[in-house]
Amino acid sequence: MATVDEPLYPIAVLIDELKNEDIQLRLNSIRRLSTIARALGEERTRKELIPFLSENNDDEDEVLLAMAEELGVFIPYVGGVEHAHVLLPPLETLSTVEETCVRDKAVESLCRIGAQMKENDIVDFFIPVVKRLASGEWFTARVSSCGLFHIAYPSATDPLKTELRTIYGQLCQDDMPMVRRAAASNLGKFAATIEQSHLKTEIMSIFDDLTQDDQDSVRLLAVEGCAALGKLLEPQDCVAHILPVIVNFSQDKSWRVRYMVANQLYELCEAVGPEPTRADLVPAYVRLLRDNEAEVRIAAAGKVTKFCRILSPQLAVQHILPCVKELSSDSSQHVRSALASVIMGMAPVLGKDATIEQLLPIFLSLLKDEFPDVRLNIISKLDQVNQVIGIDLLSQSLLPAIVELAEDRHWRVRLAIIEYIPLLASQLGVGFFDDKLGALCMQWLEDKVYSIREAAANNLKRLAEEFGPEWAMQHIIPQVLEKINNPHYLYRMTILQAISLLAPVMGAEITCQKLLPVVINSSKDRVPNIKFNVAKVLQSLVPILDQSVVEKTVKPCLVELSEDPDVDVRYYANQALQACDQIMMSS
Amino acid sequence: MWKGFIGKLSGKAPKSVGGGGGGWGSPPSKSPTSYGANGGQWDPMRSSPPLPVVAGAEGDTREDVFLRKVTVCCVLFDFSTDRVGRDSPERERKRQVLMSLVDCVGAAEEPLTEAMVSACVGMFAINLFRVFPPKVRPGAGGAAEADEDDPFFDPSWYHLQVVYELLLRFVMSPVVDVKVARKYVDNSFISRLLDLLDSDDPRERDCLKTVLHRIYGKFMGNRPFIRKAVSNIIYRFVSEDDHHNGIAELLEVFGSVISGFAKPLKEEHKLFLCKALIPLHKPKAVGMYLPQLTYCITQFIDKEPKLSGTVIRGLLKYWPVTNSQKEMMFLGELEEVLELTEMPEFQKCMVPLFRRVAHCLNSSHFQVAERALYLWNNEHVFNLISRNHQVILPIIYPALERNARLHWNQSVLNVTMNVRKMFFDMDQKLLLACQKKFQEEEEKQAESEERRRLIWEHLERNAAFHQVTGDISFSVVTKSAPLVAPTMT
Repeated sequence: MATVDEPLYPIAVLIDELKNEDIQLRLNSIRRLSTIARALGEERTRKELIPFLSENNDDEDEVLLAMAEELGVFIPYVGGVEHAHVLLPPLETLSTVEETCVRDKAVESLCRIGAQMKENDIVDFFIPVVKRLASGEWFTARVSSCGLFHIAYPSATDPLKTELRTIYGQLCQDDMPMVRRAAASNLGKFAATIEQSHLKTEIMSIFDDLTQDDQDSVRLLAVEGCAALGKLLEPQDCVAHILPVIVNFSQDKSWRVRYMVANQLYELCEAVGPEPTRADLVPAYVRLLRDNEAEVRIAAAGKVTKFCRILSPQLAVQHILPCVKELSSDSSQHVRSALASVIMGMAPVLGKDATIEQLLPIFLSLLKDEFPDVRLNIISKLDQVNQVIGIDLLSQSLLPAIVELAEDRHWRVRLAIIEYIPLLASQLGVGFFDDKLGALCMQWLEDKVYSIREAAANNLKRLAEEFGPEWAMQHIIPQVLEKINNPHYLYRMTILQAISLLAPVMGAEITCQKLLPVVINSSKDRVPNIKFNVAKVLQSLVPILDQSVVEKTVKPCLVELSEDPDVDVRYYANQALQACDQIMMSS
Repeated sequence: MWKGFIGKLSGKAPKSVGGGGGGWGSPPSKSPTSYGANGGQWDPMRSSPPLPVVAGAEGDTREDVFLRKVTVCCVLFDFSTDRVGRDSPERERKRQVLMSLVDCVGAAEEPLTEAMVSACVGMFAINLFRVFPPKVRPGAGGAAEADEDDPFFDPSWYHLQVVYELLLRFVMSPVVDVKVARKYVDNSFISRLLDLLDSDDPRERDCLKTVLHRIYGKFMGNRPFIRKAVSNIIYRFVSEDDHHNGIAELLEVFGSVISGFAKPLKEEHKLFLCKALIPLHKPKAVGMYLPQLTYCITQFIDKEPKLSGTVIRGLLKYWPVTNSQKEMMFLGELEEVLELTEMPEFQKCMVPLFRRVAHCLNSSHFQVAERALYLWNNEHVFNLISRNHQVILPIIYPALERNARLHWNQSVLNVTMNVRKMFFDMDQKLLLACQKKFQEEEEKQAESEERRRLIWEHLERNAAFHQVTGDISFSVVTKSAPLVAPTMT
C-alpha cells in the first residue's frame, strides 16, 4: 500500500503527471492546476509554476487548450490583480500556436485578465504583449493580436493610442488575408473604444480599405461589422460614410455579401434614422427581397417585420407589402418558411383594415402551403394574428391545416403541432376544441413514435390545466382509461404515464376513484415493464392520495410487486415502498 | 453527353420568381439567373443579347476579325432556367465563334498582337470569373435531392468548356509572347483563377488544374506569387473554414511543382511543407485529397530525406483519435513515409511513433489493428524495427500482450501472434524480460492508481491551508474537480 508521508513537492507532482503517456492523465493534471497553485502558495506559483508552464507548451493541442482556459481564471492564485501580469507570458506563447481553438482560447483568457488589470499595468505589460504579437513573424501571432486591441486601448496614453491605431491600420493591410480577416472582424470591438474624432478619420479610412479588399472573404467581414460601426457614429456621419457603402454592397456581385447586407440592414436603419432609411435603404431592401439568390431572399424575408416596424404603415404598404406578396409564392420553400415565421408580426404594424385586406390572403395561402415547415411557422404565431383579426375569420382555414399537420409523416412536425395545441386551445376556446381537436389529441397517444406519445400525454395534462378538472373528467379521462386495454404494452405504458401526469391536476378524489383502480389493475399485467412502471406511477401518486388509501390500496399492491420474479419490478417496488414510508413519517 | 446533363440540371435548377412579379408566365428572357456574373440585378438585355457581327469588310486585318470574334464571346448567356432559349441560334453561334478562336490560336504562326492578348484575357475574365451559387441547403424537410456525393455540373459548361480550351491553348501557345501576356495574366488574374478552384463542377476543376500547371510553367515571374496564394488558400482551409472543393487539384499541380524544386531545398519550400502541407492532415475531409498530399510529401522526402522525421512528427501531431477510416489512411501514409526514412531519422522519432503504433495495435476496429500489424510485412520497415528492437519491443510489448489476450478479431489475433513470434526469434531474452515487466506492472497498476489518488488528496489538503487573494469561490471549484483520475485502459 502506497503511503504519502514523505513531503510533497507540488511542482514535481505536476511534472511527473505531465510526463505520463496517457493524455487523459495529463489533461486531468492541467485541469487541477489551481490545486497545485494553492498548495504552492501565491509567491511560489508566480516564481515557479508559471515559468514552468511558459516553458512547457509543446504538448498536444487538447492539453494546451485546457491550459489556456485555466490560466484565464488564475488571477486569484498568483496573488490578485497586481500580479496578474505574470500570467501574460504563457498566454502570449499559446496565442501563437497553430491550432485555432488554442489561440482563440488564449486570446479570450488574455482579454479576461487584461480587463481586470490596472491601467499602468496595462501600459507596462499588456500593451507590449499586443505589440509583440502584432509584429509576430508568423501570421498566427498577428491574427491573435487583433482580438486584444479593444482591451489595451482605453488604458493607453495618448502617444501609445496613436501607435495602437497605426498598428491596427497596418494589420488591416497585412500581406496575409488571414490577418486582414481577423482585423476586419475585430474592427467593431476596437472602434467602440476609440474617441469620436479618430473614429471619423482613421477608423473610417481603415473601414473603407477593408470594404475594397480584393478578397471576397475580407469584404464580407467588413460588411458584418458595418452595423456595429454605424451605431458608434453620429447619425449624420453614418449617413455620410456607412450608407453609401452599404447601398453599394447591396448590389455586390457576390451573393454572400448581399446576404450579409440583408442580415444587417435593419440594424443600420436604426443607426441612420427614419429619413435616410426611407430615401436609400428602402429601395436597397426591396432589391434584396427580389434578389436572384434564394439565400439572400431568405435573409431579407426574415427581417421583413422588423423592417416594417421602423417604417410608416403607408410606406410599408406601398413598398414592402408587394414584395411580401411575391415572396409568399416564392419558388424556394425556405424563403416562404422564413416569411411565414415573421409575417404575423406585420399585422399590428399595418392595422386591422390593411391586415384583413392585404395580409390575410397571403397568410391563408401560406397556411395551405405544400411544405409543412411553412404551415407550422404560421400556426406557431397564431396568437399574434388572433389579436388583430379574431379567430372566427381563421378557424375555417385553420382546421384543415392543423389536421393535416397532425398526421404529417415527419414526426418532428407532429411533435411541433402537439406543442402548440394548448396554445390553440386557449385561443380557440372549449367549444371549437371539443368538436374538432379532441379526437386528434387522443389519436396521438397511439402514435408509432415514442416522443409523440410522450408529448401527447403531456399535452393532455396541459389541456386539463387549461380547461379545468370537470371538463377533463368528461372529455379526457374516460377516453384515456379506455385505452389501457390496448394489446400492445408500449401503448399501455403511455397511458400509465398520462395518468401520473393527470393525477396532480385532477385532485385526490378523482385520482382515488377513477385513476387508481386502473393503475392497481395494471399491476397484474403480464409484461414486467408495465409492472415496474406501475410501481413508479404509484410512487408518484402517494403525495396526492389520502394516507388511508395508501395504506389500504397502494402499499399491499407494492408489497405484492416487491415479491415479483422480475428483478427490475422488485427494485422499483421497493423504491416506491421506501418513498411511501418516508412520506408517512414526515406527515 | 453534356447536353443530357444540362437537361437534367435545368429541371432541378430553382425556378426563381424573383424579378418583377409573376415570373412564371413571363417569357424566358426575363427570368433571372443564379449563375449570372453580374450580381443581384438581372439585366433584361443580357439574356437575349444581339451578338455583334463577325464578318467585316474586305480590307480588315487579321487583328480586326480576331477582336470582333472576342467581342462576340464577351456576351454572357443565362443557362440556368429557360428551356426555349437553350438551343437558340445566338448561343450556338457563340460556341462556334469560341471554337474558331481555339482553332485560330492553335494554328497561328505569327505572334498575337498586344491588343489581341489583352482582349483575350479580358474575355476570359468576363466568362470565367463568377460567384458560385450557394450549396443546396441540407435537411429542413428538404427532399432527398441534397445528396452530398452527387457531383454538380454547371449548366453553362456548354460555353465554359470552350473558353477553358481556348485559355489552355492561349497559355501553351508559342505565338503568345510571355512578355506581353504577363501584363494581362497578372497576379490578380491568377488569384481569381485560383478562387475558381472551389467550383463544384469536377470538369471545371480539372481544366483549371491543367491551366494553372501551364501558367506556373510559363510565367516564371508569377511563381512566388502563386506559391504564396496557394499557401493562403491552404491556411484558410485548415484553420478557418474547412471547406474547399479544389484541394486535391491544387495538390496535384503542386506535386509536379515540388518535383521541379532544385536541391538543396530553399527554406521557403520547407516552410510550405511544415506550415501548409503537414497541417492539411487535420481537416476531416482529408480523405478527399490524401493520395495527392502523400505524393507531395514523398516528393519532399525524396529531395531531402532528412525531412522524413518532420513529416512523421507531423503525422503523430494530427493523428486521428476517433475516426477509424482516417486512422487507416494515416497508417497507409506512414508506411509510405517510413519506406523513404533512413536510420538516423527513424531513430529520432521512433519512441513517440511506436507509442502511437501500440495504440493502433489495440484498436477495437479490426482493420486499424490489422493495418498497423501489416507494417511488419514491409521489408524496409521491418529492417528499421529489427535493428532497433531494443527500444521498440518494450514499447510495443504491452499492446501485443493485450491483443493476444483480449482482441475479439481472429485475424488480428493471428497476426499479433506472428509479430510476437518475430520478436521472439529476434531476441528471446528481451521478450521474456518484457513479459515479466508487463506482469509486474499489471500487478502494481492498482497500487499506482491508489498512490496517484493519495498524492492529489494530499495536495488538496495542503491547498486548503492557503488563502487565495480576493477569491471566494475557490472552495466550490475544488469540489467540482474529480478527485480520482479516470484510468484509460
